[in-house]
Amino acid sequence: MKEHGLYDPIFEHDSCGVGFVATINGQASHEIVDDGMTILKNLEHRGAIGGDLKTGDGAGMLTQIPHLFFNKACKKLGFALPAFGAYGVGMVFLPIEEASRKTAKKLIESVAVSKGCTVLGWRETPVHPDCLGELARDCMPSINQVFLTSSAGLIADALERKLYIVRKCIERLAAAEAFSLEDLYCASFSSRTIVYKGMFVAPQFAAFYPDLADDDFQSALALVHQRYSTNTMPSWYLAQPFRCMAHNGEINTLRGNINKMHARESTLSSELFGDEIKDLFPIILQGGSDSAMFDNVFELLELGGRALEHSMMMMIPEAFGPKYHISEDKRSFYEYHAAVLEPWDGPAAIAFTNGSKVGAALDRNGLRPARYVITKSGKIVLASEIGVLDIPAGDVVEKGRLAPGKMLLVDMQQGRVLSDNEIKATISRHKPYRRWLEKNKIELKGLFGLPGPVKVDAESLAIDQKIFGYTLEDVDMIITEMAENSQEPVGSMGNDAALAVLSEKPQMLYNYFKQMFAQVTNPPIDPYRENLVMSLMSFVGREGNLLDETPQHCLQLKLSHPVLSNDDMDKLRAINTRGFRACVVSLLFDPTKGPQGLVAAIDSVRAEAESKVDAGCSLIILSDRGVDRENAAVPALLAVSAVHHHLVRKGKRQLTGLVIETGEAREVMHFATLMGFGASAVNPYLAFEILARLKETGRLSSMLTLETAIENYITAVKKGLLKVMSKMGISTIRSYKGAQVFEAVGLNEDFIHEYFAGTPSRIGGIGIEEIARETLMRHCGAFKLSTAEPANLDSGGSYNYRKFSENHLFSPEAITLLQKAVRENDASVYKSYAGLVNDIGENLCTLRGLFKFKQAAPVSIDEVEPVGSIVKRFVTSAMSFGSIGKETHETLAIAMNRLGAASNSGEGGEDEARYIPLPNGDSLKSAVKQVASARFGVNSNYLVNSRELQIKIAQGAKPGEGGQLPGPKVDDTIAKVRFATPGVMLISPPPHHDIYSIEDLAQLIFDLKNANTDARISVKLVAEAGVGTVAAGVVKGKADMVLISGHDGGTGASPLSSIKYAGIPWEIGLAEAQQVLVMNSLRDKVRLQADGQMKTGRDVVVAALLGAEEYGFGTASVVTLGCIMMRKCHLNTCPVGVATQDPRLRKKFPGKPEHVVNFMKFIAQDVREIMAGLGFRTIDEMVGRVDMLDVKDAIDHWKAKGLDFSKILAAPIMPKGGSLRCTSKQTHDFSKSIDPMLIEKSKKTLEEKTPVTISVAVRNCNRTIGAMLSAEVSKKYGSKGLPADSIKIKCTGVAGQSFGAFLAPGITLELEGDANDYVGKGLSGGRIVIYPAKEATFRAHTNIITGNVNLFGATGGEIYIHGMAGERFAVRNSGALAVVEGVGDHGCEYMTGGRVVVLGRTGINFAAGMSGGIAYVLDENQLFDTRCNLEMVDLEPVIDEDDKKFLLGVIEKHVAYTGSEYAKQLLKDWMEMYPRFVKVMPIDYKQALERIKKEESREAEVLTMTEEVFK
Amino acid sequence: MGKITGFMEYKRVNYGMRPIAERLNDYREIIVLPAQEEIARQGGRCMDCGIPFCHAMGCPVYNLIPEWNDLVYNGKWQEAYWRLEMTNNLPEITGRICPAPCETGCTLSINDSSVTIKQIELAIIENAFKQGWVVPRPPSVETGKKIAIIGSGPAGMAAAQELRRLGHAVTVFEKADRIGGILRYGIPDFKLEKWVIDRRIEQLLSEGVEFETGVHIGDDLSAKYLKRTFDVVLLTMGAGAPRDINVPGRDLRGIHYAMDYLIQSNRSVAGLPVDGEIISAKGKNVVVIGGGDTGSDCVGTANRQGAKKVYQFEILPKPMEWGESFNPSWPNWPQILRTSSSHEEGCARDWNVLTQKFTGKAGNVESMHFAKVKWGAPVAGKPPAMSVDPNTETALQVDLVLLAMGFLHVEHNKLLDELQVAFDTRGNIQTNKRYETSVPGVYAAGDAGIGASLVVRAIFHGREAAKSVSEYLGK
Repeated sequence: MKEHGLYDPIFEHDSCGVGFVATINGQASHEIVDDGMTILKNLEHRGAIGGDLKTGDGAGMLTQIPHLFFNKACKKLGFALPAFGAYGVGMVFLPIEEASRKTAKKLIESVAVSKGCTVLGWRETPVHPDCLGELARDCMPSINQVFLTSSAGLIADALERKLYIVRKCIERLAAAEAFSLEDLYCASFSSRTIVYKGMFVAPQFAAFYPDLADDDFQSALALVHQRYSTNTMPSWYLAQPFRCMAHNGEINTLRGNINKMHARESTLSSELFGDEIKDLFPIILQGGSDSAMFDNVFELLELGGRALEHSMMMMIPEAFGPKYHISEDKRSFYEYHAAVLEPWDGPAAIAFTNGSKVGAALDRNGLRPARYVITKSGKIVLASEIGVLDIPAGDVVEKGRLAPGKMLLVDMQQGRVLSDNEIKATISRHKPYRRWLEKNKIELKGLFGLPGPVKVDAESLAIDQKIFGYTLEDVDMIITEMAENSQEPVGSMGNDAALAVLSEKPQMLYNYFKQMFAQVTNPPIDPYRENLVMSLMSFVGREGNLLDETPQHCLQLKLSHPVLSNDDMDKLRAINTRGFRACVVSLLFDPTKGPQGLVAAIDSVRAEAESKVDAGCSLIILSDRGVDRENAAVPALLAVSAVHHHLVRKGKRQLTGLVIETGEAREVMHFATLMGFGASAVNPYLAFEILARLKETGRLSSMLTLETAIENYITAVKKGLLKVMSKMGISTIRSYKGAQVFEAVGLNEDFIHEYFAGTPSRIGGIGIEEIARETLMRHCGAFKLSTAEPANLDSGGSYNYRKFSENHLFSPEAITLLQKAVRENDASVYKSYAGLVNDIGENLCTLRGLFKFKQAAPVSIDEVEPVGSIVKRFVTSAMSFGSIGKETHETLAIAMNRLGAASNSGEGGEDEARYIPLPNGDSLKSAVKQVASARFGVNSNYLVNSRELQIKIAQGAKPGEGGQLPGPKVDDTIAKVRFATPGVMLISPPPHHDIYSIEDLAQLIFDLKNANTDARISVKLVAEAGVGTVAAGVVKGKADMVLISGHDGGTGASPLSSIKYAGIPWEIGLAEAQQVLVMNSLRDKVRLQADGQMKTGRDVVVAALLGAEEYGFGTASVVTLGCIMMRKCHLNTCPVGVATQDPRLRKKFPGKPEHVVNFMKFIAQDVREIMAGLGFRTIDEMVGRVDMLDVKDAIDHWKAKGLDFSKILAAPIMPKGGSLRCTSKQTHDFSKSIDPMLIEKSKKTLEEKTPVTISVAVRNCNRTIGAMLSAEVSKKYGSKGLPADSIKIKCTGVAGQSFGAFLAPGITLELEGDANDYVGKGLSGGRIVIYPAKEATFRAHTNIITGNVNLFGATGGEIYIHGMAGERFAVRNSGALAVVEGVGDHGCEYMTGGRVVVLGRTGINFAAGMSGGIAYVLDENQLFDTRCNLEMVDLEPVIDEDDKKFLLGVIEKHVAYTGSEYAKQLLKDWMEMYPRFVKVMPIDYKQALERIKKEESREAEVLTMTEEVFK
Repeated sequence: MGKITGFMEYKRVNYGMRPIAERLNDYREIIVLPAQEEIARQGGRCMDCGIPFCHAMGCPVYNLIPEWNDLVYNGKWQEAYWRLEMTNNLPEITGRICPAPCETGCTLSINDSSVTIKQIELAIIENAFKQGWVVPRPPSVETGKKIAIIGSGPAGMAAAQELRRLGHAVTVFEKADRIGGILRYGIPDFKLEKWVIDRRIEQLLSEGVEFETGVHIGDDLSAKYLKRTFDVVLLTMGAGAPRDINVPGRDLRGIHYAMDYLIQSNRSVAGLPVDGEIISAKGKNVVVIGGGDTGSDCVGTANRQGAKKVYQFEILPKPMEWGESFNPSWPNWPQILRTSSSHEEGCARDWNVLTQKFTGKAGNVESMHFAKVKWGAPVAGKPPAMSVDPNTETALQVDLVLLAMGFLHVEHNKLLDELQVAFDTRGNIQTNKRYETSVPGVYAAGDAGIGASLVVRAIFHGREAAKSVSEYLGK
């Protein structure tokens, strides 16, 4: 699908189910092919279908060349095949149209011949297109097989390499002759393997390719993939598997990987390819997906001579930080390769093969499931889920899952399954990497030592600060805070300041860039609790030939992190060892030459850098030191990116490292952009000087030495960088470097193309001239004649309001008028308010400010939809009880309920008492209930009591981040509704631990739909480039409503850099979502909502015209209740009692429901008036009528005049029968749900509480068992539910995902067999029991029985698991009891309550972020403390009698429920065993418990005393 | 920011005043600043608001209030002074006599007592003078441009300093014998001692501002000469035309404009000769007509002169009495009953009083006849209707009547005639946003352009006009 409007195919994402089946001894059979088909069918729910409800996103299968079958088929066609291994088969997609197909075939043949191959013949692959969806059929290619041999008689690897060269030549020539990938595509081209794939859902696959049904079609392996993509426009070539792998996940660092690979081509050489290496270029084929490009590089490495597993270890290295207990050789292997190739970073489960080996690997975070089973009959099955192939329990040898960073390999020649340890030990020792490293890597002595004294000259410092645009805010709020607290400052409320391109003040270039972040299609990483997977270490210097391995490859400088002190710079400058030396390129230019001077300066910087590289310089330091009256500095970011891209274009980038020494860099965003556009390290010398000056003048706390201040500052930058990287799901700085995960807002195409190539920038804007002007404004301003105190800095005003500084949407006057209007219910005052906010002459802040409405024939206002009906489309944006006070939260609910509109609970839960209406008819119940990453307060009853369930993927003020509520803010009430302990800090993780990809989101939507079938499910996204395609994916996941939030939305607390620099205006995001949904025929099924600093009726109309049906007001609605934009929500000191929990301040809350009601009515009336003028009678008529929007013609703003809104205002391509708004509903498929049957059978119990027992066979397609039934219980009996064991359900088989989700009290789910991911998600009081099939012979407690992320967000109930669970067991558990016999990594993460008993091994990072609850772990080999994250917990022996009693009791129950032999043995040796348990006790929690206990006892004492008195 | 929870921990402590009995005996300043530590603590009450209404809506000169509050709290007095100096040329004046709309705009005053912004301002600048931080800042380069500023009140002084610092040659013409305009002779010493002005003039002189006193442009120098000699003429003459009362008996002796009375008093306090008839309140029954600040200054002066009895009448209704510490009209200026230090010193005040006539003997006023009025309900867009209650007509024995009913506009004198500047409908000099009058090269700022207003506003306009003038000259 082609670019249109804001849609760009580069933003497409996909994700999926993946798996393989193989015979370990390599025996080919047709059974394996059949098994592959079965797996695909059973993974169907992980894929998606398009707007026509029939076209699948793609599915496919990779097998060995079915020689027997081809022999037979070719014979029929009249040509004979040589022996297996002596010929290759190309599976090629060609044009349907005959003439061009002929040309294409000719092209292939001629290339083959020219490269020394003989074409044996062609076979048209038989297909049955009838089964396809219309969309798929319309663009179906002609699928052909070409058979060829090497004329020189090459076989085996040599033949394979030849075929690779031929294919690359075909691809290049095809591109040159204007064949698109749709017209000529080689799905596979190999003597070893073949790929059958296309636009199907699994069941269509077998029917489409009859070849696969032939008994002679035999293979020892079948690697399959079911795709779920965000787009629906079919692209056959993007279906997977690719030639040697299939990928479930996403490569977040793609842009950087592509650039680096491109640059590397110039130095690639290999004896294996000789001169023909040039035929392989470009290594990465443009137009492919991230997975396709991964495949491109993977095959190069493998065919370039490295082992298959070696290549995979290079591209997806596991984490090897100091916290990991791994062998030194393995660590050295990874470190050596860090100097050779940057990781392809992002969540990934990859299945790969070269025909004789087949394996799978998981990335370091392990965010994708991969379960495997090895059978006695010699088969291995690995897939995203267990249960995809029926395997009798008695046949199982081993059941397991891939752990984070681990690999599994089947060597079919050896006939063995190789474990991770064996694979990696062999590979890491096949060359002496450790010795090579020891000898060659350069670690400068004293680098990163304690920073020495920093010299400051107050006078020049004052000038430099002005040249580099420092404000008082930069110094006071940013630099000082970082130095004092070692972290970025936190702020609150949103960003309502003008966009950089609309600001009159000269802006730093950084301000035109916005951070991208992961949402839905991949998860952010948790930089705090899971930071052991992250790394800031990198190598800089000259890279070697990628296809070779020599000791010199690691002759590079190792930087443990990228922030260099001034001393470090001195050392770098002086470095000259073993040919490694650094050169400085100055960034200074003559300010009198104006903009042309800047252009010339960049050109000469680029040329100088290149010549230094040519001269053998391994490290280039770009430096702006030395600015003065005669010397201005090229903006650092511009210089870095310009040089980086120049060197990439010249193929020389890999020959040098780039370090930037700049006075500009001061805040995290600056560092992030500099790194993101190519720098390896940054020296912020001016920031250090400022710190020195602050110390001199006594502005730093007296406890802090300058050295510590500098160290703290560096720490803050490092933490900030980790956070920025993690937002995008990137783990290592090595791959973040140059990954360009930014979007530009307000920079024009020429500028971007020249200096920031590949960065999305969709609304044009300023170019080099204006950038120069801004630079020179700052420069000249610093030397302007003035007698003012030189040390005085400009106030800033971009965070806190200052007159004559940056514009803010909410001016003091606007707030005053708005409050007056709603308090006095005075429409005329509202008008003045709206006038003020909309007045762009005085206050241009937003893109929409530049829009105007087109002329139209007006209608009488009496004909326009009434206020009462318009307000129903309004919502108050999500604000949690916790971030705002009780009074505010409830007042908003009352007001919105009175209007028939909706308030949003936010993520803090809700007091059940609010579900009961007040005597006067008011309701305190939030109609919209949020389900956010921490799942605070989310139980079955909460879900049942809502009209809408909103999955918060991201929040405008801090997309990609979690949050935390400090202990002191967690008072009794908040603790109660969040199921937490008062006084204990509550943390929301950055990712939803049940949404690591789009199919996971679909699963959560399905779960919630089960938990409340009447509620609509909405998904909250934040605008960024590509949000449209994400929205499309979300709609395919069956969301009923998608909310597009602007970057500027409010917050209770968020790092300032996130408030400022993440996300983009909703105008762009909404327009993109609308365009993509319309063109994909998805718009009719979903409603769109927009929010983000909406303030007036005009804003609403703009949103409607751009495609939104509903509108959210966050900040404005709290302003009506008295908020005066203190921006102190995070400090709990809101002086008007709006956003505080302090009872003294809450008393001051001045808001009344009427205020909100009045506001909403004013807005609605305002909307009506505009509608009348535009001739619209209903909002429905208006939605999506982007043709009614125009751009104000007289924009004479020197920057804004370059903006180009044509992409925002582009009409979407309207497909046949398409719609601009929601006209129908999502269809939810409950056909495989067993709950309706369970409800039917429990009818009597639900009514009369008579107990019932039900038995049912299950398989992996039966998902979310128990949630719908639980909803029935909750509806009738509230959160108390039924008496225990009222409904007992016995399941047999493999349960699908989310087994027992939100299970209500009174229900017991027993499972004999296996379970997949998310067992007991949101467990709400029910009981789950899981044990292996009775006939199983494997040792249950060492085999995996349930998947990842069990008990996520559980609030109560129990679970007993006889066997091991996967990663992140009991994450965010706040009340459930669990007994399990072993868990994977990150167990009990973020737990805030409940009890977890682990009777066996745990993975690493146990108890990370655990602030409450208790875990008991059997620590047999006394190594548990090395795997436990001790940051927030203490380990204690189990000596307390209560603890012992508790443990014994639950283990006895465990035995009783599951029959675990293993646990029985423990009990037998109880006196021996209990001392081996350790108690994991959160520190805060312990204190809180003691405090509570003390209070109780004090109350008891008081009681006795009083009694005595009364006696 | 000062202290996160400072506003919850510290109570407001405002400056004190000398005892009434003591202060009535002299004309010395009556306020007494608390100790510096207390003032610093008061700075800690500032919440460093996301939107500082004090700065953005309250303060007419947009002082960077939260910034220096924080610095004071942290003991960084010099830096506090530097930030104060960025916006205000005369903080020692505003710190004494400004009605402090910043404090009524203070976000704390939504529901609590505001930060003591005004006294912090005063403390910063007085400390700065004491420490010798207030130094001349003469320009490093001369532009060669010449500017005449007419009037040396707050607008003129602020503009003069700003223009001089930009390197222009500035001459300030003052018709009186001393510099300062209304500050010098309009405001009594007990509110503003004159050394305060002299101290600032010192600085201006050191920076190179030239002052010509006792020069009446139009009489002593012609407008033509001015225009010929100077590149720009900036009119900062204030709004000196007082509002009169047209009732029978107005021409009796003993009825004076407040400003005439105050000028005389101020001159004699300064030990300067006084022209014409001596107006003294000693032993007299004094009526001040007009309830504003000028009236209040008359009350204080009359009491110091030994008046027998002092009355102050206001035609408008008595404002709401407000006993709370917070501002009922936040962030706007509340219309509430205010009792000045002068009122505390002894004064009978009444409202709704309409003066009907004066009667007297031998040309001397003896009685003032007045009646109470009733005000109708406010009607949008019109002044409220007033009606006299005939049953309330009364007479009061008076010896001295001081008319303090405000000012109409700039005095329409010969200079303005000669310059031929246009006036707006209210009689002020008509200016645009850039402070340009209808005559090229002639600018106006302060009360002369907008009518009588606050000193602090005059300072702001003086500064802004200076920017405009300089831009004009730079072209």
